[in-house]
Amino acid sequence: MRNRRIRILFTIIVFVFALLGLILPLSDNVNDISIFGFFPNINLGLDIQGGVLLEYSLDVPEEADTSNVVDNVITVLRRRMDNAGYTEAIVSEVVSGGESRVRVEIPGISDTQRAEELIGSKGKLYFAEVLEVVESTTTPQITRNRTIQINGEKIEMYSYVKDSNNPNLWYRVKNVFEFGDAPFQITGLDVTDAVASLNSQGAGFVVNLNFNNEGRMKFELATANLINQRIAIILDDEVIIAPVVRERISQGRAEISGIESMAEAQNIAVLIKSGNLPVDLVKFQERTLGPTLGRDIVTTIINAGIIGLIIVMIYMIIVYRWMGIIADIALIYNSLLLMGVLSWTGAILTLPGIAGIILTFGTTVDGNIIIYERIKEELRIGRPPLTAVKFGFNKVFSTIFDANITTILAGLVLFFLTSGTIRGFAVTLIIGVLGAMFTNLVVSRLLLESSSHFLKPEKYVKGIVVGKGGTK
Amino acid sequence: MPNIDFVGKRNFFIYLSLALILFFVIVIFVKGFNFGVDFSGGSEIIVSFDKSYTIDELRNGLRTINPDYATAKIIQTNPGGGTSERFFYIITVRDSFPILEEKQAFINSLEESFSDSNLNIEQFNDVSGYAAREIRSYAWYAVIIALMVLLAYITIRFQFSYAVGAILALAHDVLITLGFYSLFGIEMNLTAIAAFLTLAGYSLNDTIVIYDRIRENRSKNHGMDIERVTNKSINEVIVRSLNTSLTTFIVVFIMLLLGGRSIASFAFGLTVGVIIGTYSSLYIASPIVISMVKRRKKTQKA
Repeated sequence: MRNRRIRILFTIIVFVFALLGLILPLSDNVNDISIFGFFPNINLGLDIQGGVLLEYSLDVPEEADTSNVVDNVITVLRRRMDNAGYTEAIVSEVVSGGESRVRVEIPGISDTQRAEELIGSKGKLYFAEVLEVVESTTTPQITRNRTIQINGEKIEMYSYVKDSNNPNLWYRVKNVFEFGDAPFQITGLDVTDAVASLNSQGAGFVVNLNFNNEGRMKFELATANLINQRIAIILDDEVIIAPVVRERISQGRAEISGIESMAEAQNIAVLIKSGNLPVDLVKFQERTLGPTLGRDIVTTIINAGIIGLIIVMIYMIIVYRWMGIIADIALIYNSLLLMGVLSWTGAILTLPGIAGIILTFGTTVDGNIIIYERIKEELRIGRPPLTAVKFGFNKVFSTIFDANITTILAGLVLFFLTSGTIRGFAVTLIIGVLGAMFTNLVVSRLLLESSSHFLKPEKYVKGIVVGKGGTK
Repeated sequence: MPNIDFVGKRNFFIYLSLALILFFVIVIFVKGFNFGVDFSGGSEIIVSFDKSYTIDELRNGLRTINPDYATAKIIQTNPGGGTSERFFYIITVRDSFPILEEKQAFINSLEESFSDSNLNIEQFNDVSGYAAREIRSYAWYAVIIALMVLLAYITIRFQFSYAVGAILALAHDVLITLGFYSLFGIEMNLTAIAAFLTLAGYSLNDTIVIYDRIRENRSKNHGMDIERVTNKSINEVIVRSLNTSLTTFIVVFIMLLLGGRSIASFAFGLTVGVIIGTYSSLYIASPIVISMVKRRKKTQKA
């Protein structure tokens, strides 16, 4: 009796847990595809909702620290995506066989050209002299300009660059320094390191910059001539920060002060460093799916799955009568549980993932069939229904355990060795099989024990008599 | 309870399976596989038009863009089950377009070639040759590591000879299913790999249910010889095996019929796999164990 009470408790707790995952507003997804409209918390993969997935290999120089480069590239791409209005984009690292790649996923668009342009352009970081700061809602125009050649690259002498935080704030800057013998630029290549830290002399936070030898000389020359003026640090044609030069800086170290939060300081440091590592991105793979096509495909697959499921449910009732109804309840219970776990964990549901769900139904039904066949055997040798149910469950435990653990092991191997959509399959398979074990061993048992009086043992006892004297 | 002699005719079925495997290995060598872009690299583009073209018209259009594209694979498809007004085609070319300008040039020339029918790019899958190689090698690693893990697990829970039986039955299922992919030219892609791993799980599941019953019956009936125990065990669980196989078959077969192209190679693998897996659990996995147990007993006596 105590066992049964524990089972009731678990069944209800798990059910409420699953239901909360489905009902609580956990995310602001809007799923409008087929039945997923009812499950807004489930993250749909790009192969379901449509969108573009771009994956790039990084052409990292041999001496560079790869993990650093990857972090920096991710930060820069994230910022570019946000600035371009793709705020829903996911920029992430993919590790495969010791090689790191960067993946950008943008849901809902199928025109990839703009995204590719944004990603493909190298981030350029440079320092520039600030001539004036203006406020304007439109881009100010430079009236007279001249171009200058540095290292074979043509550079416009003056330009207006907008502030990265305030789109109406424009800096008129001189892009090239003209002190000393020849005009020069200070770029990310001259910076060896940028570190955020607490300001030891005053309030706020600072970013410490370290320059290489060439950078040290150029920076000294520039600061010597620009005391009490501002130098803008520009990345991707936006001013990250424009500090005032206090003194001539000759040690190859500079400090940007007056930053209000540590997070901002860290962000600036990463951006400056990332400008320092202009790696080439090489497209590894692209998968683009138009939203309409995705919807059509998914609707078709789900319809097929639901039709198959209904047929199986009817089949179970025909073959197992009352126990078949319980199997169907278990099936629905496990589906809700799976949806709930997907909602809670934020795991991404892909097309193969849906296939995994449908297979989970198979596992759940299979578990029930194993149990019912056992219960029928117990009924045949004349045990009363409740005892038959209890004996049946105790005997099938090891069968269900071994059979399902092998499936889970296969799923785990798949999860760790693959990425992307196949991984989505492994996720739903593992969650689903674990759910099936719980549903079969706890929920089905509870339902059957509570309703064992619906079982008709006479039918099975008679069955064995016919079997013995009849066919064989 | 049925009383079918499964183990008595085991030699017949083992030879039957060997013959089948031999046949399919030859098929695979002769016909090869229909690799999708996941494995071969290249681009798979799904386009839709306002009006219908014949495959030849499309091929001629592609040829004017680049003579190499004359060998492109073109398939007409219908993703939405016939509800759409538009006409969909899948074009697979060997080229991948790592540089944006190349890809844009390709799409522009497609639009020029078919300018009067409102071309729309519905899907664009571009897998570089390098990516394809990687996907291919990891698929193999996944399979090999999964097999080793399962071998270890079954050895711990049962016996080594059971593990060998299960793995041989599994190899049997996978080889024959691979043969069917080759025979019918079903596309091999990432979802096909998912199907194979699911099939592996399913086949093992089925085998283990029978093994579990053999283990139980052996400890209950000391002295009864292994052949009779095995036969009794298979007969005891056959109703369950058939019911489960039938319900799984119903779901995957309906998915194959109605699920459309993107799930077809997955559903195909499982539809074939369920049948083969059920057969091998009954006629291959356990009979192999009998042979191994008997041989070990002989060597112990000698």
